[in-house]
Amino acid sequence: MFKSMRYVLQENFTNLFRIYSIAKYELLADMRDSKLGLFWNFANPVIQVLTYWFVFGLVWDRKAVHGIGYIFWMLGGMVVWFFISPCITNGCNAIYSKIGVITKMKFPVSVLPATVVLKELFNHLCLMLVLIIVFPLGGYYPNYHWLGIFYYLFCAIVFSISLSMTTSVLNMLARDTRKLVLACMRLLLYLTPILWDIERIPFKFLQYIMKANPIYYIVQGYRDCFFYHKGFWAYHNSMIAFWIITFILFAFGSYMMYKFKHKFIDMI
Amino acid sequence: MNEEYAIEFRHVSKIYSLKSKDKKHNEDKRFYALKDINFKIKRGEVVGVLGTNGSGKSTMSVILAGISEVDEGEMIVNGEQALIAINLGLNNQLTGEENIELKGALLGLTKKQIQNIKSQVIEFSEIGDFLYQPVKKYSSGMKSRLGFSINLALNPEIFIVDEALSVGDKGFAQKCLDKMTELKDEGKTIVFISHSLQQVRDFCDTALWIEGGMLKDYGDVETICDQYAEYVDYYNRLSNEEKRRERDEKFDRRLLPKEDKGFFKKLFNH
Repeated sequence: MFKSMRYVLQENFTNLFRIYSIAKYELLADMRDSKLGLFWNFANPVIQVLTYWFVFGLVWDRKAVHGIGYIFWMLGGMVVWFFISPCITNGCNAIYSKIGVITKMKFPVSVLPATVVLKELFNHLCLMLVLIIVFPLGGYYPNYHWLGIFYYLFCAIVFSISLSMTTSVLNMLARDTRKLVLACMRLLLYLTPILWDIERIPFKFLQYIMKANPIYYIVQGYRDCFFYHKGFWAYHNSMIAFWIITFILFAFGSYMMYKFKHKFIDMI
Repeated sequence: MNEEYAIEFRHVSKIYSLKSKDKKHNEDKRFYALKDINFKIKRGEVVGVLGTNGSGKSTMSVILAGISEVDEGEMIVNGEQALIAINLGLNNQLTGEENIELKGALLGLTKKQIQNIKSQVIEFSEIGDFLYQPVKKYSSGMKSRLGFSINLALNPEIFIVDEALSVGDKGFAQKCLDKMTELKDEGKTIVFISHSLQQVRDFCDTALWIEGGMLKDYGDVETICDQYAEYVDYYNRLSNEEKRRERDEKFDRRLLPKEDKGFFKKLFNH
């Protein structure tokens, strides 16, 4: 188990330039694909946010959450969902979409999940820039608490890579994995307290389960940095749950990666 | 480990599983793509690999390149090997230059090494001003020339060339052949997988003939080529009925008893 984890970590860290290049050119190719290029990276999330705001904010008239305007409150959590969600769906396809590469040369397959995440990270940073412009409009000015976002972003990256490591290998064994993941994404969005506040759930017990959700930990962390300023320690139970789940995913993912590293080509 | 040899195959077998025609009886057959292959290739030798379609040449090339692993036996390689194939995934949206950089990075070169090979690739592939055009605007000849040139610039110790010299027009093919001859003089080991008997005769020292997944013969290029040509002639003279019988016979010799491998078995006992 530890051997495979060391193997995966080593392969990733010795191939940083490879990861960077793949992500860079993949982004470039994506942008060249359409006439408006980078514009869609912004337009897509904006349209989604407006939809949710229309349904929940206007039609259902969600009031401010903890004194924070609903649209801002939602944006604060939604922004990281826009990072994690494509990481999960594309990460699942990380190996399969690179078949042309792995069948043609000796290639360190375990770097592929990281390339997907790095590519999405660029889009995320673009969105964060927009947020930094939008939030002052609601009276939320950047302050030193916002620096905590770097920690939560790191969490999101590690979690996404660990999860993709597992799903991408499973997807090679059976292509159904991707279909399952795609089907579960919408469910995950509504089950994670992103569009609604966790305290609206009547049962304390259910709330505890919700708080163990690693994605909720990250979402809550982002919101804490933007609005609540309670600090890392306020969520220590979620934090422990998050790192345990992430570690298990990473251990299992790298074990699979290590075991199948030469077998992928025969699974096509 | 004997340093005198570049590549050594010891009882190498590669097995693929086949889906059965009848879906109700889930009896997946297993099939030898390569069966019990033994040979040694000396350092600096140029070997041509001959064989009819479906005899296992491509499987051989991916195994030699270290991309696929053998199922039985072992392969010993002394030195860095690289597969040179015509069909490499260039990204259609990117320009020629960006493709060189991407491909270089994929192959594991550093930034500096990529800068070094760039001029070499540009010169060899003869794409000129098309370098700054997206690859989707290239002719198919240009694409394969670019891909081939990037691979050539890698300069490993052992080359595995898979049908690559059918790239582009006569002029470029000649240029490739010249380049290969240059590499040969430098003492590189080259495994040359080709359909063209003439190219193998001209270029290789020895030849290796695989038929039906098994090693038929390995030795001096002229002798093997003559035998191979004779076999192809013999096969072509057969009537359709006889051809089919021969094919079936070959196929049956490559079959293995079935083995049940479900999803979870695949997961846990590889």
